[in-house]
Amino acid sequence: MPRTQQPSEIAVVDLVVCDRCGLCLPLCPPEAIHLELADLVVDRSSCTGCRKCVAPCPVGALAMVPA
Amino acid sequence: MHDTDVLVIGGGPAGAVAAREAKRTAPALDVVLLERDAAVGTPVRCAEGVGDAGLREFADPEGAPWAARKIRRVIFLAPDDTEVRVAERDVGWVLDRTRFDAFLAQRAASSGVDVRVGTEAAGMSRGTDGRWEVRLRSARGEETCRARIVIGADGVEAMVGRWAGLDTRVPARDMESCAQYVLQGIDFDPDAIYLQFGEGIAPGGYAWLFPKGPGVANVGLGLVALKADGRNARDYLDAWIARRYPGGAKIGYTVGGVIAHTTVKRTYSDGVLIAGDAAHMINPLSGGGIVNAMKAGRLAGRTAAAAICAGDTGAGRLSTYHAAWMALLGDDHLKYYRLKRALEGLDDRFFNALARTVNAIPIERRTLGRIFTHALVKHPQLIPVAARFFI
Repeated sequence: MPRTQQPSEIAVVDLVVCDRCGLCLPLCPPEAIHLELADLVVDRSSCTGCRKCVAPCPVGALAMVPA
Repeated sequence: MHDTDVLVIGGGPAGAVAAREAKRTAPALDVVLLERDAAVGTPVRCAEGVGDAGLREFADPEGAPWAARKIRRVIFLAPDDTEVRVAERDVGWVLDRTRFDAFLAQRAASSGVDVRVGTEAAGMSRGTDGRWEVRLRSARGEETCRARIVIGADGVEAMVGRWAGLDTRVPARDMESCAQYVLQGIDFDPDAIYLQFGEGIAPGGYAWLFPKGPGVANVGLGLVALKADGRNARDYLDAWIARRYPGGAKIGYTVGGVIAHTTVKRTYSDGVLIAGDAAHMINPLSGGGIVNAMKAGRLAGRTAAAAICAGDTGAGRLSTYHAAWMALLGDDHLKYYRLKRALEGLDDRFFNALARTVNAIPIERRTLGRIFTHALVKHPQLIPVAARFFI
């Protein structure tokens, strides 16, 4: 899903910490998170920086970084 | 890979039951069940508790190797640790999900389903003949499988629904972030499950202990991150265990999401059905989803097989699945969801007072009906909650 504005920051997954539970996938409004061979990956071009995926991660594997 | 009539994606309870029911409904059809992981039932992302009556619709738990523990009592713990014992018989079971999922998959295979582990669905698109072309990845490389009907039983990730254009997104307030340890060497009633509520314990959810045997239990919690104080689910769980079960050995650990929402608006599309967690078919009040997933899988498998036999796999015909699910449980979940939202407005002080009210009822007379009646009389602020539930 294309975004309308360039966000100042976007979400990234720390794959060392991530448990691959998939909880973040349905939380993402633009559906920017997907799986690549069971690894959760944020699509840089569609993340809107809304942070909705960050706090719910049970292990704190998602963080915001400058876009 | 050869083409198939029904392709079920996800080897959990929803998928295994869907595949078996499709094959049993129309034995001439080819049915394939895909599991991404190297074995069905792993890793376990589940507290493993299940109600007795619902389970028995699908399998007899007495003496079964996949039934870890029979549960006879529920012990609620108020935020201030006041214990409320609710006397009931045959409450439910704590499963061994690794064995249970393997049992369901084996039963599907015995019925003639082609079960494939270690095979991941990577995407799908509709071919010119109306069939779905699903891209598969495994250790053997990539291949494409064409299917007349795809059943998405892929859990919280719900990618099949997304590929089919269905909206499987969840608002943050309805996502329970869960963490759980298997704790060994702790003291509890092995015939009871324990549930504790509290803003400081598991905001927007609850903490649980589900016995797997004497001294061994699944000990976990689920919370709504929007209501939390900045700590994640694992932090809250570590704090709860340090307070209640400080001597326990943490011999296992898992995390995951439980969608405490209502069924997605559309569980079907042309040639596609979604079932179980993938379609948000979890009881939004309890967070339980195993039996729901199997009931939905049964409906999905039968609907898919009948549709293929009738030569019509279009959305119009498959919508009967959605209607049947809503009549069976989906409409009840709308009520449970309203009750969940109403209960969210009550604070720790209320639950502490409610616990004392309920404990004033003698335990042998402590049925859920009496608890409810007493609660309404002593705590009139519950009346709007009850009204919202029943309206």
